[in-house]
Amino acid sequence: MGTNCDKLLSTAGTAHAYAPYEDVRDIQVAAINERLGEQGERIKLVKLRAADAGITEVKSLADVVPLLLPHTAYKSYPESFLTEKKWDRLTKWLGTVSAHPTDNVDLSGVEDIDDWVAACGKAGHHVSCSSGTTGKSAMLVASQADLDFAARDGVAAVEWGSDIRTGDLRTTAGAAGAVAYTPRNTAMGMAMMGAFVDPAAPRFNSGLPPVTIGSMTKMITLRKAIADGTAKPGEIAEFEAESSARQQALDAAQDGAVDDIIAKRDRRLYVTGMWGSLHPFAEAVRARGYSAKDFNPENGVFLGGGLKRAKLPDDYREYVYETFNLQPRFIYQMYGMQEINTSMPRCQEGQRYHLPAWLVALPLNKEGDELAPGMGAKDFQGPVEGRAAFFDLSMDGRWGGVISGDRIEIDFSPCACGNGSPSIKDDIARYADLEGDDKIGCAGTVDAYVRGLS
Amino acid sequence: MNTVTEITAATQADSAPFFIRGKLVEGAGQVHRSRDLGVDFATPKIDLDSLVHPRSELPPLLNTPLSEIIDFLHEAGQKLADPNNPHIQTTIDRMAKVSLQPRKSIEFQLKHAIGYLDPKVLRELVEQNFPNPKALDEWVPHTDHQGRRSFIRAYAPRLIHVLPGNAPTQGIQSIAQSALVKSVSLFKMASADPFSTVAFLRTMAEVDPNHPVVQSMSAIYWRGGDESVERVLYRPQYFDKLVAWGGGDAINNVMKYVGPGFQLVSFDPKTSISMVGREAFASEQALVEAATLNASDVAMGGQEPCVSSRFTFIEATPEQADRYCQVLADQIRVDRMDEGTPRPLDMELKEQIDVLRMMDDEYAVFGKTDGRGVAIRSEEPVDFHPLRKTSNVVCVPDLMEAMKYVNVATQTVGVYPFERMAALRDHLASGGAQRVVRLGEAGPSAIGNPHDAMYPLHRFVHWMANEDGLEGA
Repeated sequence: MGTNCDKLLSTAGTAHAYAPYEDVRDIQVAAINERLGEQGERIKLVKLRAADAGITEVKSLADVVPLLLPHTAYKSYPESFLTEKKWDRLTKWLGTVSAHPTDNVDLSGVEDIDDWVAACGKAGHHVSCSSGTTGKSAMLVASQADLDFAARDGVAAVEWGSDIRTGDLRTTAGAAGAVAYTPRNTAMGMAMMGAFVDPAAPRFNSGLPPVTIGSMTKMITLRKAIADGTAKPGEIAEFEAESSARQQALDAAQDGAVDDIIAKRDRRLYVTGMWGSLHPFAEAVRARGYSAKDFNPENGVFLGGGLKRAKLPDDYREYVYETFNLQPRFIYQMYGMQEINTSMPRCQEGQRYHLPAWLVALPLNKEGDELAPGMGAKDFQGPVEGRAAFFDLSMDGRWGGVISGDRIEIDFSPCACGNGSPSIKDDIARYADLEGDDKIGCAGTVDAYVRGLS
Repeated sequence: MNTVTEITAATQADSAPFFIRGKLVEGAGQVHRSRDLGVDFATPKIDLDSLVHPRSELPPLLNTPLSEIIDFLHEAGQKLADPNNPHIQTTIDRMAKVSLQPRKSIEFQLKHAIGYLDPKVLRELVEQNFPNPKALDEWVPHTDHQGRRSFIRAYAPRLIHVLPGNAPTQGIQSIAQSALVKSVSLFKMASADPFSTVAFLRTMAEVDPNHPVVQSMSAIYWRGGDESVERVLYRPQYFDKLVAWGGGDAINNVMKYVGPGFQLVSFDPKTSISMVGREAFASEQALVEAATLNASDVAMGGQEPCVSSRFTFIEATPEQADRYCQVLADQIRVDRMDEGTPRPLDMELKEQIDVLRMMDDEYAVFGKTDGRGVAIRSEEPVDFHPLRKTSNVVCVPDLMEAMKYVNVATQTVGVYPFERMAALRDHLASGGAQRVVRLGEAGPSAIGNPHDAMYPLHRFVHWMANEDGLEGA
C-alpha cells in the first residue's frame, strides 16, 4: 500500500489509532488517492464508476463520493446465476467487485453454492454472504489479509472500548441462535475466543446446524418457484414442515442455553449476542428466578448491531445488564458492518462510536449522492447528520468505499472521553426503518403475491 | 408510524386541506413528509367522528336518479376543465413537487381524467358494469322460472378508497365511480398526491355545495398503516368495503381488518409487459414501428403506472434484439414531457444496470443510467423491477416460450404484430394476465371494460334482494 495509507494503518493497536481528526484528514485524502491508484484499475466496478464520473485522482473528500459503492453493489449479480447454478458466471460477477482476479477459482466438482464459496476460498477469495432470506444475499469478497486484519482489529477494539482483556480466561455463554456461517464471522469469532476465553471452559453446543448460504438459497429458490407458479403444493408443504422443525429445534436450543448460563453463573462470563436475541434470553433467565445477584460482577458482554427491527421495551438495555450483572466497564458495544473490516468501538465516557485513523468518515446526504452539509469544508467540526459512508483503507480484497443504509450523527470535534477522533452518536437507525413504507401505487411485482416465506 | 413533525415546519409546508362531507376543512395541525421525494405538507388534525355516515341515516344519494348524478358530474367536469380553475392549477403546482412524474405528464393525465366525466362515458361505464342499470335507481322486479318473485337493488354502499400515489387521475375516476353507485365514500389520499382529490371535490362543491354527490364524499390524508386511524375506522359498522389500489404496507396493513362485513376490493399491484413477434424484423420499417410503439408503452407516465411496459419478450436472436434495443432506447430517451434534466436513478437500480454492462457476454445495455432511459437485452428477465424508463428486452425462440414469465401479477400485455393477439390470449389469461392490447396502446382503455379481472362498480354495490313470495300465492 502507499506511504500515506501505511502511515495510518501503522497506528492500529497503538495509542495513536484514535488520533484527532485534524492530524489525519489530509493524509486520509492522500491515502484514498493511493488506493484508487492501486485498485481503481483492478476492481472493474470502481473503474467504471471512475470513468463515468471522470475521476482520475482524489484530491478532496468530494472526489470520493462518486466512487463509493452502495452496500447493494455486492448483491448486484443476477439471481439466476445462483438458482440455475451458473458458477462460472457467478465467478465472473465476483470478478467485477474483487480486487484480485477470480479466474484462478477451480470450479470442478462445484455442485451447490456452499461448494462454490469453498472453491473461491481455496483460491484466496473468501466470500461472506449476508443473510437475506426473502431477498438476495450480498456476497462480500475478502482476502486472507482482510480476515486477519478484521480479527486483529476486532480484538484491539474490544480492549479499547472496555476492560475486557486478552488472557481473561472467560467462559462463553449467550442466547442460542442460528448463526450465519461466513469466513469473516468465523475469523473474528475465533480471534475473540482465542483472546478472551479459557479454552478449557465448557462451551454450550446448541446442536443447531450453521446457517450457510446454501440453506438460504434453498429458500430463495423456492420463493422464486412460488412466484413463477411452478412450485407444487407438496414442495411448499415440505418446506413448511422443515421451517417448523427448525423453529422447534431453535426453541429447544434456547432452553438449553438458559440452563447453560444458569449452570455457569459463578464463572466470569463472556456473553455475546444482539439485542434482539439477548433480551428474550434475559427474560427466560429471570423467569427461572435468576438475576444480577446470582451472576459474576466481572461478566463481560460483546454487543454488535442494532435492534434490527426487533421490538423491545424501552428499558431493554438496562434489563439485559441487570439480568447478567453487567457493569459498564465490561460492556463492549461496537458499530460496524459486514462491508468493512474495521470495528468502531464505543467509548466508556462519551458512549460514542469512534473511528480509527484508517477509517475515513464520509457522511452523505440522505440520498447518498453528495457529502453531508459542511463536510469537506476546512475546519469543519460537525456534528452533522446523514447517511453513513466510509472508506476503509485497510480493505485489500475489495473496494474500501461503501455507502450504508444507516442514518448517523457524527462529530469531528474531540469527544467527552478525551479522544480526538471522529465519533458517532449512539442513536444509529436505518433509513428504511425510519420511513416505513407508506408508498402505495398500482405498479408492483409478483413478490406481493408470495405468502409465507419471510 | 406517523411522521408528525414540529408544527413550526408548517410555514414552509404546502397546505393539503381535507374535504369532509361537502365542506372544506383547512388547518395545519399536522405536518407530514411525502414518501417519495421527502417534501413536507400540512394537513388539519383528523376529526374521526366527522368521517362516518351513521347507518341509521340513508345514504344521501340513494334517491337521486342516476341521470341527475351524471348531469352533475358533467357540470363539475366543465368547471374542472376550465383553464382558470384555481384549485386545479394550484394542485398541479403542488403535485409537481411531491410526485415522481414530470409536470407535463400530470397536466396531461388530469386533462384526460376530466374527459372521464363526459355523460356518454359515464353512461357507458354503468351499462358495461350492470346488466340492468335501473337497479341503481329502483328495486327492479324479477321472477324466477319457478315463479318466485323478487325485487333487486344495487344498493348504495359505504366505501373507503385507498388511493394510489402514482396515478393522478385515479381520484377523479374514483369520485365518479362512487357517485355512480351512489356510495358514501371516504378517500384516503397518498402522500405522493395529497392534493388532487380535494381539489376535485372543492370544485364540485362550488357547482352546488348541497348536492348529494358532494355531501356523500370525504377526502383526507393519514399515513398508511397509522393504527390510530385505521384500527378505529376499518370496521363493518362504518364501512362495507375497502377499495384499495396497489400494494405495499398500506395494503398489507389492511388485511388484518378484513373480516365478516368488511370486504376488500383490491386492485392489485401489477407489472405490464410487451410481446414482439419475429415479424418486427421483416423490414427496417417494421423494426422501427414496433420499437417506437414499444417505447410509448414503456415511457408512459414516466413508467410509474402499472400499465407501463417493463419487460419485452421478443422472438429474436441477440444480434437482432440489439438492433431493436438501440431504437427502443433512443425512443424511450426522447423527452416528451418536458422533464428537462431527470432525477438521478436510485443507487441500487443504477448499480444493478451498471453491473450488467460489465457482464457483456450475456447482457447488452443501450442508453445510459442517467434517468432518461435504458434498454437491456438479456436471455431471461432481470431480477430487479425495471423503473424510471428501463426496459428489459428478453430474447425468446417463440412467444409461447414467454408464457412462463406471465404470472398473477401480469396486467397489460402489448402485442406486435396485432394479429397475433388472438393466438396468445387464452394462454395469457390462464397464466394470470388481465388485458391484451395492441403494442403502443397500453394507455388508452375501452370504456367500462373489466379491470383486474372484475367489473368494479358491480363489486362496489351492496346487492340486496327483497323476495315477495310465489306468484299467485
